[in-house]
Parts: sequence; C-alpha cells; structure tokens
Amino acid sequence: MKPAWSWQFDRATLQRVETSLPTAITREWAWEGSTGAGVKVAVIDSGIDAGYPGVGPLAGGAVLVADADAPRGARVIEGPHEDLFGHGTACAAIIRQAAPDADLYSVRVLGERLTGRGIVFAEGMRWALANGMQVLNMSLSTSRVEYFGLFHEIVDEAYFQRAMVVCAVNNVRAPSYPSQYASVFSVAAHEGRDPFHFEYNTAPPVEFGAPGIDLEVGWLGGRTIRATGNSFAAPHVTGLIARILGKHPGLTPFQMKTVLLALADNAR
Amino acid sequence: MRASRPGRLRLRVAAESVQSRFDMGDTSPPYDVLSDLSQLAADLGPALRPRGNDELLQAIVDTARVVFDAAACSIALLSEREDELVCRVAAGSGAEATVGLRIPVDRGIAGWAVMAGQSIAIDDVRQDPRFAADIAETTGYIPNSIMAMPLESERATFGVIEVLDRRRGGAEGVDDMELLARFASQATLAIETSRIFSSLGQALFESAALVAPGQELRDALAQRAAQAPRPNAELAELALLFHDLGQLGADERRVAAQIAEDFLAYARKRRR
Repeated sequence: MKPAWSWQFDRATLQRVETSLPTAITREWAWEGSTGAGVKVAVIDSGIDAGYPGVGPLAGGAVLVADADAPRGARVIEGPHEDLFGHGTACAAIIRQAAPDADLYSVRVLGERLTGRGIVFAEGMRWALANGMQVLNMSLSTSRVEYFGLFHEIVDEAYFQRAMVVCAVNNVRAPSYPSQYASVFSVAAHEGRDPFHFEYNTAPPVEFGAPGIDLEVGWLGGRTIRATGNSFAAPHVTGLIARILGKHPGLTPFQMKTVLLALADNAR
Repeated sequence: MRASRPGRLRLRVAAESVQSRFDMGDTSPPYDVLSDLSQLAADLGPALRPRGNDELLQAIVDTARVVFDAAACSIALLSEREDELVCRVAAGSGAEATVGLRIPVDRGIAGWAVMAGQSIAIDDVRQDPRFAADIAETTGYIPNSIMAMPLESERATFGVIEVLDRRRGGAEGVDDMELLARFASQATLAIETSRIFSSLGQALFESAALVAPGQELRDALAQRAAQAPRPNAELAELALLFHDLGQLGADERRVAAQIAEDFLAYARKRRR
C-alpha cells in the first residue's frame, strides 16, 4: 500500500526533469539571442493601444467586466479593445524593450466602476492562465484582506502551471495582493533607466527592483509621458522573464527566481 | 443628552411592545419592534460620529500642500455607486470650485490610481491633453505634474489623494511618494473611522443576529440588518448643531434646549 500521491514517484512513471541550469548563470546563457519569441505574456491592466509605435500587433486579449449574475462575479468579452487610461500601453512598451517578439495579450480589468474590482482582477488572471499565458504582468493590487484567499488560490494555480506572476507592490507599507505571496515576482521601482539593470532584495516581500522613477513611458495617442510608480517597474521584470523564457521555456517560477537572483546587478 | 430624546422614546416604545407580546404569551419574532430598532440603529451611528472629520481631512490637504509646496492638494471619495470620484476637500489653486466636483473613475490619473490600487506620479501632464482637460475641468487649473495615491485600508477602498505641481519633495531620505503615503494613511484612517460610525446600526444588528438565541430571531435580525435604513444625514447635521451648542455658555444652551422642546411639542401636536 502506498500513501496518496506517491504513485507519481514510481520508477516506471517518474519523469526525467530538464534542469537546464548550469553551474554558472550568466546573462549570455540566460537570454543571449532571445527576443522573447514564442512566449505568451498577459498585461492585466487598462488595455493596450495596439497602434502605439513598437507595441502591436497584439496576439489577443479580453475585457473582464463585473457582473453579479456571472458564475464567478465577472464576465469575459474576448477581442480587441482600447486602452482606457494609457497605463497598459506604457507597460506593453516597457515589456517590448526586453522582449520585442513576445506574444502580447491585453487583459483589461479596469472599467466603469470600482465595485467587484478584486473579483475582476482575479478573473483576468484566471483568463490568462486558462489561455496558456506564461507570464502575467499585474501592475495592479488591492490591500483588501477579503481577497487574500482568492489571490492565494490563483497564484498557486499559476505556480502549478509554471506561469510567472509579476506584480507591482503597493506604495504603502502594508501587504497588498497579489504581490504578497512567495511564488510571485514582486517588484518596486529603483532609480535608473537601463531596462536590463535590476536588483534583488534579500529582505522580501519585495523581491526585485527595476526602473520606475521618472521614466519616459508610452501613453495614449502615440505620445510619451514622464511617470513614476512601482507599476512601471513590474513590466521591466516581465520583459526580462519573457526574454529568458524565450530561450529556456521549461523553467519553473522558482528556477526563474534563481536565474534572476544570479543575474541581478547587486549579485556578487 | 437632549438630542437622543426621540431615540429614547422610540426605544422605550419598542421595549414596551416586546413586554406586552411576552405578557400575551407571544414569543414569535417581534417584527414591529425590529422596525423600530432598525430605524434607531440607522440614527445611532451618525449621532455618535466623531465631530470634525471633514476638518481633519481639510487639515491633511492643507498640510500636504504646504509640505510639498504644491499648487493644490485634494481628497476625492468614491460615490455610492463607485463609478465617480467626488472631491471632498481641497487646498490651494481652485480649491473652492473643486469641492463637490465629480469625475468618472474610468478617466484620468486619479481614476487609474484608485482602480489599480497603485500610486502614480506624472510629471508632464500636459503631454496627455485628455488628462489635462479632465483635471482642468475639476480644478479650473491645468497642472504640469500630478501625484495620486489611493486611499485604501485592508477593509475598504475610499478614494484618492492628489497633489498638483509640487515644488518640494520630502525631507532627506524620504521620497515624495513615501511622504504622500503618510498623509494618505492618515486620511484613510479618518474616513474609515467616520464610516464605521455610519454603519454602526447595521453592525449592531449583525452582532445581535450572531448572539440571538433562537434561529427564527437570528434570521429576522440578519434580514433586518440587510434592510436597515441608510444612516440619517439630517440627524448627523442636528447632532453637529448640538455639539456646537455645547461649546456655548450655559444660558445659551438653556435657551436652545427650550426652543427645541417647544418645537418638539408643536411637532407632536401637529402629527396627531
């Protein structure tokens, strides 16, 4: 008799694991020659202006709308849509710096009302996971404790699917979701503008630092705007992850963290 | 306090009604009593709400404006439908015209901040003519820079605090956003405290439902909690007046009390 789950480790069924982790992790090994091609990236935000220079074409997208009658409180409308604010376009343009050929999907979760916001964010993440996204950029968060369990469940689901969830942390020194969980790549802004310059924080929950202060970012109508916020730091890390996955598609989220830690500018 | 007299009267009527039902051997849920209690609960919170909440919010935006040496600073709160931000207090350029103005949450930098739950600063707002026009519409002033931070606690989202055209950052070692976060936390606490009082009646019903001995009574209380009338804004205004009266001398208070008594006597006679 065997305890539950132990069958997976039987000699006959046990699968060989691709580690592809060398002893020395270098930027050359990690991403040289990669453009992020073939990697599916979801920008869960305000929409993306596909006409913005260098951003389009998009691979697809969906709008999530709060709907009390829908089974999980939100309904999906798949297809092209505009960017309501400009922020999603800013994120997309930042991701393109490191991953110009990634398959970008716009998942719009901001709408006309705040009601049900946490549910809509969560459903946006679920849509991305159900559609095979490998990287989810979430420059959004909520501090509301009622969503702790919901987002925990979704980021665990993402982890089990090997999907990387990259989240901007809130500016207030209190937990915000979904940036708070261990399997998430939580990002805050540091000074500097080099998209390939990033740091690792040895005292999480905030784990990575990337550009997000006084940046020239893409906006609506083909314009750029000078902006500051952790929400612009997250897509830098998303871009790097997509670039690495373009070359090493089999990495798990924690392997990816190991790679990023080794490549961080403050790594010895 | 005299202000609570109508409430006390209602409570006494409610209690007598319960007593007479028991005297008659009726132990079913006292629905009419629940109606009285639910009205009382709706009145209770606003009457007890701490005074000076708006003054505190005003003080926060005044101080933030001075600390940042900014052209303006304001706090906007979500409307009941959560589809608009309504400016509650403002300091600096266009302050008077700003208070009470409404902007949809799906527009502008403040809208994005409150929807995304993230702080954001834009330093050349005029690059986005739509944003610039939105802000100008609400402030009568077109800024170059804007910094917006959501007001959100672990229990609820309330609105946003904005600083326009800051000329000075935080003290050494504290950046702008970190500094604004402190003002935001203070404002969030003030608003949340005030809201807790507004929903005090509902909370009382919910607590009563939790501890009610019988399932039937528990259900009745829970149902009433869901249907409890909205807090009474007029009562809150009255309570504020009484508070102000309390600051006056004993003679003025006596006269005011006499006027209130006379008015109540007159009103009761008319209702009969």
